[in-house]
Amino acid sequence: MNALSAPAAPPRQRDGLRHRPRLAVDAVVVAGVLAVVAVGLSTDRFVTVANAKAIITSASLVGIAALGLTLIMIGGSAVSLAISQSVAAIGMIFLSAQSLGLIPALVIAVVVGALITGLQGAVVGYAAANPVVLTIAASFAIAGLATGISGGVSVAPSGLGYDHLNATPGGVALSVYVLLVLALSLEWVLRRTAFGRSLYMVGENRVAARAAGMPVGRTTTVAWLAAGALFAVTAVFTAAFNTSANVNLGGTLTFDAIAAVLAGGTPISGGRGSALRTLAGALLVSAVSDILLLRGYSTGVQVMVKGLIVLAVVVLVHLRTRESHA
Amino acid sequence: MITSKTPLPSGATRPPAPSRRRAAALKLTAVVLGVTLVAAGCGDSSENGSAGDGGGGGLDGKTINFVGYGSDNPWGAYFNKVFTDKLEAEGAEVVDLTTMDPGTAVTNFNQAISNRPDLIVAALLDTSSMVVPIQKAKQADIPVLVFDGRPDPSVDGDVMQVLSDNEALGVAAAQNLVEGMQAQGKDSGSIIAITGTKSGFASQDRMTGFDAEMAKTPEYEVIEVEDGNWDPALTGKIATQLIAKHGCEGIQGAYGMANYQAVAIIASAEQAGCEVGGDNGWIVTGSNCFKAGIDAIKAGTLYGTATEDPGTIAEQTADYVARYFNGEDPPQKEIVQEERVTADNVDQFEAQCSNA
Repeated sequence: MNALSAPAAPPRQRDGLRHRPRLAVDAVVVAGVLAVVAVGLSTDRFVTVANAKAIITSASLVGIAALGLTLIMIGGSAVSLAISQSVAAIGMIFLSAQSLGLIPALVIAVVVGALITGLQGAVVGYAAANPVVLTIAASFAIAGLATGISGGVSVAPSGLGYDHLNATPGGVALSVYVLLVLALSLEWVLRRTAFGRSLYMVGENRVAARAAGMPVGRTTTVAWLAAGALFAVTAVFTAAFNTSANVNLGGTLTFDAIAAVLAGGTPISGGRGSALRTLAGALLVSAVSDILLLRGYSTGVQVMVKGLIVLAVVVLVHLRTRESHA
Repeated sequence: MITSKTPLPSGATRPPAPSRRRAAALKLTAVVLGVTLVAAGCGDSSENGSAGDGGGGGLDGKTINFVGYGSDNPWGAYFNKVFTDKLEAEGAEVVDLTTMDPGTAVTNFNQAISNRPDLIVAALLDTSSMVVPIQKAKQADIPVLVFDGRPDPSVDGDVMQVLSDNEALGVAAAQNLVEGMQAQGKDSGSIIAITGTKSGFASQDRMTGFDAEMAKTPEYEVIEVEDGNWDPALTGKIATQLIAKHGCEGIQGAYGMANYQAVAIIASAEQAGCEVGGDNGWIVTGSNCFKAGIDAIKAGTLYGTATEDPGTIAEQTADYVARYFNGEDPPQKEIVQEERVTADNVDQFEAQCSNA
């Protein structure tokens, strides 16, 4: 049957057919969220203020780094695989600079963080380098430099100012407030500023954006600079929490941040996504880990379920994107 | 020379360019493979006569292939410095094949075998994957010395060993907890433990010692054991969740297997508003010492830890190598003496424990 022989369906009916798969995907998402809520509600001690604090505290450090990664992903630069190494190096710098005072140390950390990642962004934006390959190389370079300069040993703080970052105003970790403020600010930047709009356009179709005369290189570089600053914020909180820093400080942060962004529904192909989605993704991963721990499942099961969540969301986002393009 | 523009005789066909490129690539691969095999064959046939022969002669001129922990790990960095400096000062050549990646460690170990050194000194990042390389070294008659963590039981008799006393470290942790809670006047208590990688022998052996010691005082109960994978960030998250599960009052003691894990537990507890240390706060212990742990003991938040510092084991491992090459016939297995560290003796161990 071809288009000519096919009976023309009434427009409303055709729209309904087109949206049916999309509705099915949305139904699966809603069902998934409801399932998590139902399992949570049936889990002993899940619905408590203390547990809510635990979930959001656990999500805070990964969440801040994931906000940075959101900028990179929306801009169509896939991912940075150098987040852990950047965070480790900046954490070491931050603790080393404590003798200068907390504020100078913070400024140094954020500036260095922005420069480290921004430099990679400039190469991606202006020279069209493959971000995955570039950031793998950068991760080795950063770890090598940090190891060489520190001699591999842990860096101890040279002052006590860092301890202010471990404060708990109102009984909630300071990093939680910072996460919420940054998420809201970033959402505003993405939705309300020219930079935000051009980042979406560059991420949607880089070739078309360049053909339209948009500053693709500059937009990408600025996105990576901001991402680096956000990685630095994660670094200073992580270093303050651990009271020492070495090249392993970042741990599994790279993949945790990627998981949070993807779980929030931001596609790795770029052009879509939001800071608030990433915040939701970080909270979802943290809540599911919390439920599993409260129910007595091992760390291995928690890691496996995190992977399954990411896989499921990636498939659903792909299906939804395909349907919306159909 | 035929180029792509050279006319061909009539009837002849030129192979498509990709086929020619593929053929060239295959030839190149064959040449590289051939050279590699010839080199490997030469390597196998060369005899230096000293592999497996440690008796007499001392360290001077001996070649040691060192497949240790990578220097990107603080513990490994200090161990490597002490160990290498000491052996090189006595005239040995130490070939650095260190890494923190278990897969690369296997490759490096195989490389060490083909180097035909006088001795391979190795740390076992993954005990299972090192079984076959150890067996290959034995077949090649190259002696192997394993340090820190014990090897798989199937090759236990095939290697010399200088091991940390992980059971003693676990015992020390349990003693710290019980002693601390008793000093607070608590005649019972609930304890959480966040371990290193559970599948590793180091964690398993420490928990064996810990559990055995805790069993002597059943009024102090271990209510949670979680795998922290030697990761301070993961440890902090788990501790935060366990605090939410049990509440500050539901936990009286905590064991973070490495000092940096214990420090992460302390940070999580303080962020959750739990009192740590003092007359009624949590008693927290580690079981191998890092500078962060020593600082925490002095600050009163960490009750205690135990040694397993890289400097001590590096000294003993280097000493073992020296005795081996001096023909002193050291025992096949040596265990490093571990010490319990608390506020009472922290000054004594501060320097020893502040190198990583």
